[in-house]
Amino acid sequence: MTKLLQTLMDGVSVGSLYALIALGYTMVYGILKFINFAHSDIFMLGAWVSFTLATLMGWTSDAPWIAGPAVICGSMLICGTIGFVIERLAYRPLRAAPRINVLITAIGVSLFLENVGQLEYVFGTRPQRMPSLLPDTVLASVAGVSIRLVDVLVIGIAFSLMGALEYLVFSTKLGRAMRAVSHDLKTASLMGIDVDRVISITFIIGSSLAAAAGFLTAAKYPSINQPAHSNWILFGLKAFVAAVVGGIGNVRGAMAGGLMIGLVEMFGAAFFSPNLRDVYVFTLLIVVLLIKPDGLLGRATVEKV
Amino acid sequence: MTGILEVQGVSIAFGGLKAVQDFRLSLREGGLQGLIGPNGAGKTTVFNLLTGVYRPDSGTVSLGGHNLIGLKPHQIARAGMARTFQNIRLFADLTVLDNIRIASHARTWTSTLASVLRTPGAIAAESAITEHAMELLDVLGLADRAQETARNLPYGDQRRLEIARALALDPEVLLLDEPAAGMNPQEKIALRGLIRTVRERFSLSVLLIEHDMGLVMDLCEQITVLDHGTVIADGSPESVQGNPRVIEAYLGAPSAEVSA
Amino acid sequence: MARESGLKARAAALAPEPMTVLKQSVLPLVAAFVIPLIFHFGIGPSVGAYPSKVLLDIGINVVLAVSLNLVNGFTGQFSIGHAGFMAVGGYTAGLVTYYGGYRIWGDSLPHGGFLGAGEMLFLVATIAAALSAAAFGYLVGLPSLRLRGDYLALVTLGFGEIVRVMIQQTSDIATDATEIAATSWPSLLWKVGGALGFTGLPFYTSLFWVWLWVSLTVLVASRLKTSTHGRAFLSIREDEIAAEAMGIPTTTIKVRAFVMSAAFAGVAGSLFAHEVGTTLNPGELGFQKSFEVVIMVVLGGMGSVSGCVLAAIVVTVLPELLRSVDEYRMVAYALTLILMMILRPQGLFGLREIWEIWPFKALFRSEAK
Repeated sequence: MTKLLQTLMDGVSVGSLYALIALGYTMVYGILKFINFAHSDIFMLGAWVSFTLATLMGWTSDAPWIAGPAVICGSMLICGTIGFVIERLAYRPLRAAPRINVLITAIGVSLFLENVGQLEYVFGTRPQRMPSLLPDTVLASVAGVSIRLVDVLVIGIAFSLMGALEYLVFSTKLGRAMRAVSHDLKTASLMGIDVDRVISITFIIGSSLAAAAGFLTAAKYPSINQPAHSNWILFGLKAFVAAVVGGIGNVRGAMAGGLMIGLVEMFGAAFFSPNLRDVYVFTLLIVVLLIKPDGLLGRATVEKV
Repeated sequence: MTGILEVQGVSIAFGGLKAVQDFRLSLREGGLQGLIGPNGAGKTTVFNLLTGVYRPDSGTVSLGGHNLIGLKPHQIARAGMARTFQNIRLFADLTVLDNIRIASHARTWTSTLASVLRTPGAIAAESAITEHAMELLDVLGLADRAQETARNLPYGDQRRLEIARALALDPEVLLLDEPAAGMNPQEKIALRGLIRTVRERFSLSVLLIEHDMGLVMDLCEQITVLDHGTVIADGSPESVQGNPRVIEAYLGAPSAEVSA
Repeated sequence: MARESGLKARAAALAPEPMTVLKQSVLPLVAAFVIPLIFHFGIGPSVGAYPSKVLLDIGINVVLAVSLNLVNGFTGQFSIGHAGFMAVGGYTAGLVTYYGGYRIWGDSLPHGGFLGAGEMLFLVATIAAALSAAAFGYLVGLPSLRLRGDYLALVTLGFGEIVRVMIQQTSDIATDATEIAATSWPSLLWKVGGALGFTGLPFYTSLFWVWLWVSLTVLVASRLKTSTHGRAFLSIREDEIAAEAMGIPTTTIKVRAFVMSAAFAGVAGSLFAHEVGTTLNPGELGFQKSFEVVIMVVLGGMGSVSGCVLAAIVVTVLPELLRSVDEYRMVAYALTLILMMILRPQGLFGLREIWEIWPFKALFRSEAK
């Protein structure tokens, strides 16, 4: 019973991180119909920028309470800007190109960010330890499961950000424009929607959510890997799997998919073999794609002849 | 009398929208039949249903007495039904010659291994495919463009290349989806002769979707009129032209087009 | 049910002249065996050890690039799991030469000289590598029946990762001859070294074998491209719906492309596994390796065999020349990839071969006259 609850807690905690990243994938896919491979690198940057900001401010130990909020906001701001620039320089010139070309470009951007990050005067090739900006306290113990502050904050912040996005997409004018562009880019532009602006904003929002996930991941697992470490891409990929499983282009699907992937991974790790967690996720992906290619909450698309 | 292509009670709906309802058609062997109707009447959807791109919700389609329902598009193509596309779908980066030779693939018998080993049989098969393709290009007046990339052809030539490519399948029935679209008047006149020529030469039965009424009335001996997915008239060009339901369906479109 | 097309009768009348058969069919095959001999006995000994090693790496990358080109270039599908097939092939071949060697000779050292018994075992191992990778290619190709473009890319990537993680879970290599002799084959399958890699494999990979497989891969790819079967591949890349309407069984052919491509990747895996100075380990064969092969294909031109060969050579040699600025290498690759897509999305050569491009075209034309 304790193990069950503990795994549930872990699953929701990791799952909400996946969900945060999945949102960026799903929003970009919804509008531009390609996998933004570089999104997992924005997530990586989110963690590394957080680390760098904290170090620059000298918040290595006994950080003031303001440190956490300041670093997460700073990281979201910087990564949002990077996302904006990437779209402007690399993706916009390819708006009319075949999707495969954009996908290859995205792989290029991904390799670029990783390897620039590895340069000695950027982040370097050594793993670092994220200073703990939050006190590592156990808030409560329920049925033998210790509820850690970090997990509560991870879940809390992730869910509030998702709530904010939900409000933005479904209850504001900007959100309506985003949904219109996602539904039909050409028609939306004929209706007088500034498509370029909507796409830019989508990249900014998606990238800052990934940055938030980067910060939270670093808070939860303080040892941060070197920028080109495959774990970053793998984490990001699993988030994309979450987006696909939930139904790509669907904001609520991404959230549900993220939680689902987190739970599958953690339950598999706890009750079968911890070494095969990636295998569970990718197997789930292949199964979902074969049974319901449009994801659990997705709609079928018909190609026009 | 049953025709080479028999279609009975074919319907399909997309998410509640009844795109085609109870469609029927009988194409006589060697016949040249028109399928007309206002924009959005469901003509191309009918072609997609006949060629297996969509599977009808109900109804029967048979070619030369063989059922086609449930077959994949490539199986239907191999069974003897070839088509062209309204919004030209050539293999744009390949040469004109290769566009045609690809359609001959369905009629070849050499194995991949034989091709890779370049056995004498495979070499002969390649020569035969090329010779056949050049003949077709000759008929369609495209022989001197054989080595050009398809996307660089002028519009009218692309339409004719689509016809040539469909012919390389050695079909019994040829479905032409607006072959005259985008052609100038001279090209249209030439196309008229061309359709007659290939029908004779390759003993085809032709089903033609076309907006140019002059072309349709002149070429076709039988016309089916589609509106909102249902057949509203069926018969000789004269009887269809005089049919009040047809005239009504075309209101909004210039009526001169109907009587032209 | 279809009418007789007359192609067969036509072909019967067009039986090729013996000279044509010799020129088109036999001579290239002979060359495919002569070129590796030249590499092995001529070029290799005269350039020395280090350049020879580079020549081995180039050859393996050529096999990888040209084979991935069958899927990504010819057929227009997008696979980024090529390293997975390479790993399957490498480990299969390693099992054959390592444990096979123990079963036969009591050790895993190379036996026999050039074309000796050991190298024959290596040949068997490489063919086994091709077959097992092809079987996985079939499995991965199946989803391509239902998925398009980037979804398929994701499945291939997922496949590569699953292979990598599974190999990491394997147990230690058996090194004791009597123990190996007593262990059944199925339980040996799992003893391939886990995350540390499958070490101790005999070094059979020589210039002869690498360039023999290079020649065969290039021969198969280029002959395919100029045959009716290859044109069927290309039609899918150009327009899947039109291809289907022209009687091309697109699903069958997509799977066939995957199988052929995977088989050659398996061969490359076997060559990689038995090369001096490389370790067959799961870390080497992750998606970075797959991306590297994708880069070669994209640079060379999707669909161009000679372009892929050239790109594989450049991508292998350049880092050797730029060792002093190694950390910028990947940055440069990445920038090249992005700029390429924006400025010349079809790759350097696109669908065309090098000799079909202007300066060379003139050269080859005049030679033909």
